[in-house]
Amino acid sequence: MDKPQPQESFEEFRQSFFYGRRGDLNFKFFKDLPDDDVASFIQIVLDRLGDAYDTGDVLPLIEAAFEAQVAGYAPDPGTSPKFFFDDGPFTPCEMSVTNARVGLLATSGHFVHGDDPEPFGEAAMTQAEAEARIGEFMSAAPVLSEIPSDTATPALRVRHGGYDIRSAVRDPNVAFPIDRLREARDDGRVGSLAETFFSFPGATAQGRLRKVLPGWVERIHDEDIDVMLLVPV
Amino acid sequence: MSVGHVARAIEESGIPTVTVMVKAFEHRASEFKIPRTLVVQHPMGRPLGAAFDKQRHRDVLNAAFDLLESAPHNGTVVELPDAYRPETHSGATAREER
Repeated sequence: MDKPQPQESFEEFRQSFFYGRRGDLNFKFFKDLPDDDVASFIQIVLDRLGDAYDTGDVLPLIEAAFEAQVAGYAPDPGTSPKFFFDDGPFTPCEMSVTNARVGLLATSGHFVHGDDPEPFGEAAMTQAEAEARIGEFMSAAPVLSEIPSDTATPALRVRHGGYDIRSAVRDPNVAFPIDRLREARDDGRVGSLAETFFSFPGATAQGRLRKVLPGWVERIHDEDIDVMLLVPV
Repeated sequence: MSVGHVARAIEESGIPTVTVMVKAFEHRASEFKIPRTLVVQHPMGRPLGAAFDKQRHRDVLNAAFDLLESAPHNGTVVELPDAYRPETHSGATAREER
């Protein structure tokens, strides 16, 4: 006869969504919410699901998840942020974007098929492996992937241990708007595009990122761009 | 957090930047003094909008470009008021799954 398993507490249930046995990158923020807030969220979702049975409208469910996510990532007023700057740089944009050469850098983890950055020397790492090794990513230096701006969209790949990539797999433009920028160029909304766009998995060691940034900035300047679009996930 | 360091470094080097940030991470804009931030009411992982919602993607890009041209100083934050909508609510007629 099997030994009875110890009963799981609600706190353990809530925390199991953070890279635990129920790991779900859409809801990993449960870890940082009080039990009562997560319980209320579940109750709201189930209640709205009751309506959706008849209406077929899932928007209220999505709205509940969005509101919970915003609450889940809100800074704790009792703690100081890891990074805080009193002021910051500002370079005025002195031209119309319709005449500008535009660059793109996303923290989405996109790369081109055949040019896998092979984190930790591992070829063809899967998304599941990236999620399992998130701790290693968070202590390693990031690798910047170069993505020619004329890359055929189906040649794009994405891997990132910090967010649910399903939407970015279906349509890379949700986080790496390569088609939309090409259309903007063709429509005259922007002057031209950089020859090369960039992406890296933003879940990375912040100190190591700061060390590699001067080299990245130098590389970005090679693109001779006038403005840059940044897309964190 | 990564984009905060990236935005500061690129802007400091003389290239104007604009950052598209989902609402959940809005606080990063003030913590890092990101030069220009467009906040979108989208879930994490979908800063431009839902898959195949081309019109929302374009709206986000246009708002970002407008912000690039109009921001008067560091720390300018503009929020796009439109709520997220999945593909079935966006008027998209054809899936482009691959």
